[in-house]
Amino acid sequence: MFRRTARFALPVVAALALSACGIGGGSDTADTTATVSGEVKGEITFQTWNLKGGYEKYFTDLVTAFQTANPGTTVKWIDQPPEGYQDKLSADAAAGSLPDVVDIGPEAAFTLANAGMLLDLSKTDPDAAKDYLPKAWEANKFASLGGGIYAYPWYLNTGPSFYNTALLDKCGVPKDNLPATYDALFAAGEAMAAKCKSGETMVGRLPAIETFGAYGVPLMNAEGTKFTFNDAKGAELVNHYKKLFEAGGLTEATLNKLQTGEVDAFKAGQVGWLPGSSYTLKDLKATAPKIAETVAIAPHVTNDKPNMYIESLAVNAKSKNTATAVAFAKFATNKANQLGFSNQAAIFPSATGALDDAYFTTDDGTPETKLRVESAKAVSEAIVYWPAAFSSKSVDFLREQIALAVLGKKDVQAALDESVKYADENLPK
Amino acid sequence: MTSASIGRTHDRWWAPWLFLAPALAVVVVFILFPFTNTLALSVTDATLLKPGQFIGADNFVRLWSDERFRIAMINSTLYVICVVPVMIAAPLVLAALVNGTTRILGFFRTAFYLPVVMSSVIVGLIWTNLLDQRGLINQLLGWLGAIDTPIGFLSDRWLTLISAMVVTVWTGLGYYMVIYLAAMANIDRSLYEAAAIDGAGPIRQFLHVTVPGVRSTSALIGLFSSVSAFRVFGEVYVLTGGTGGTGGQNTTITMLIQQEGTGLQAQTGYAGAISMVMFVVLGGLLAAQLWFQNRGGDK
Repeated sequence: MFRRTARFALPVVAALALSACGIGGGSDTADTTATVSGEVKGEITFQTWNLKGGYEKYFTDLVTAFQTANPGTTVKWIDQPPEGYQDKLSADAAAGSLPDVVDIGPEAAFTLANAGMLLDLSKTDPDAAKDYLPKAWEANKFASLGGGIYAYPWYLNTGPSFYNTALLDKCGVPKDNLPATYDALFAAGEAMAAKCKSGETMVGRLPAIETFGAYGVPLMNAEGTKFTFNDAKGAELVNHYKKLFEAGGLTEATLNKLQTGEVDAFKAGQVGWLPGSSYTLKDLKATAPKIAETVAIAPHVTNDKPNMYIESLAVNAKSKNTATAVAFAKFATNKANQLGFSNQAAIFPSATGALDDAYFTTDDGTPETKLRVESAKAVSEAIVYWPAAFSSKSVDFLREQIALAVLGKKDVQAALDESVKYADENLPK
Repeated sequence: MTSASIGRTHDRWWAPWLFLAPALAVVVVFILFPFTNTLALSVTDATLLKPGQFIGADNFVRLWSDERFRIAMINSTLYVICVVPVMIAAPLVLAALVNGTTRILGFFRTAFYLPVVMSSVIVGLIWTNLLDQRGLINQLLGWLGAIDTPIGFLSDRWLTLISAMVVTVWTGLGYYMVIYLAAMANIDRSLYEAAAIDGAGPIRQFLHVTVPGVRSTSALIGLFSSVSAFRVFGEVYVLTGGTGGTGGQNTTITMLIQQEGTGLQAQTGYAGAISMVMFVVLGGLLAAQLWFQNRGGDK
């Protein structure tokens, strides 16, 4: 009997050990809408994402300036490495140890706000709206969460297109009329594919959700309760990529590339077009100097407004020193401090009037300044296309579905329908 | 023994538990708690940030209509079918070839074992640089004129899976080779001498003395490697850049659990359901192998 039991128990216990996964869900909610009161005192934690290398002095000075202006406060600055930032946020959020002030993108802010972990500024600090560019303030407004605003806008980024002119010459694409719309880009991609057969392509990555936006596809309904990018215009965009792939203008390896892979391919001279940021030229000069010598900079490729990304500072609704956390978030994102940071990093301020500063309007003739001034102009008209409710899992799912459609393993419309269904399922119920 | 000392012994009823406590604590904390937690989660719609509601078997029903789960099951099962026989046979052949005391054999033993101690990141980088579209293998084939366009070792669905299997075999060979070497050291030398007297050459000696002599070790290796193969993660993750391959076609069960169960939008309930399916499959696999092993041993 014992042997029989042991024989049964052995595989069970072994499988237990081998498959055990400690994953847990848990939450307790805080009041996210109560007016913030109390003294600006005590210790808070401020978490940034990959800003220690290069900007340590700026942040140390920022913290010192805040502490000097607010005696009795201590700001503990923590910077997280670039890899696994979402995982770090997840671990902190699940453990209930989210820092008091967090550097965050709209998509992560949406998830944390949905879990009741961030202050709703539309209720707690509605007057702050006037201090920021309206579209930056609105970027953290989540329609499906009752229209609340969940973070103070911090820095913005957009950028022009970068073209490898040596590759364009080699592959017969005229460099005096660089593509400014997606239609022109696809035409150039097909022309390049016809001439260059050794794996070099114009486009180095499949469309992301913001590409749909820049192509003119409506991404969500007005209420923010349903995604809509599976319409005819969305299918048209994916069909362009499918046609490009069939013509040899997109390699199979491209179908699996993330944004970093696209940048690497551009640096390796395999891709003709790179949608860049104001940081791209500096990066190319440092890491791919030969490519940097050949690049031509042209306006953002778009059928509508240029795309823009935003980083914000959110306040933990469960902070023990909420007043201090709010005061610091506002201090770090005020006009003077945003300008100070913009002068050191290749980013753009979201504070009202900051873009009118001479630093963003005066061209001294150097390529870097020209790029900054042109990008700043683009910021003023750009849109944050990526809907905050479109989670990183939906991003992955969309990329996979489009890859299958481009490979011809799935109907384009079916791929988009499934992507929309998946994204809708992840919306707050 | 006096009645007083017997009484003292009985008073110390907790003594055995004290000895067991460290091991029990490890089992409870790292096995039982995660398992019961996963089991409980698998019947809820929990996410990372919300505990969720009881939804019965809904997660398991959803699995059967989830295309990604189907693909992951196919990939993990194929991994077991293709990798396990190689992992049982190839290290045995290798062990037979390097079984000896000369310096050159010692060198080969070390060389074959080297991948085992290498960091998975290094292994991933080596193989990615070899198999990439612009990697060494494609460049060599192009230089030899064997190909016009690069082979998609890391972009084609089946080639990517095969590439990952090759990496698994490459990194595992040395480990299992050492286990076989230990088993071969226990085979009675007189059996080889008797076989030689009967006119058996090296191949016949290998087939009729070595192979039967390490039979139970082969079963053990089959057990270990099938569990590892079904749980494959690192090789596929590294070779596909963490994406699960083009269109997610190379996702394995463990990768799917990682994709669903991590990140801010983690669906911990659904990931728990996938884990439970994996548990049942692994339990079945282990039970079947033990049954075959015991059946073989009884004969």
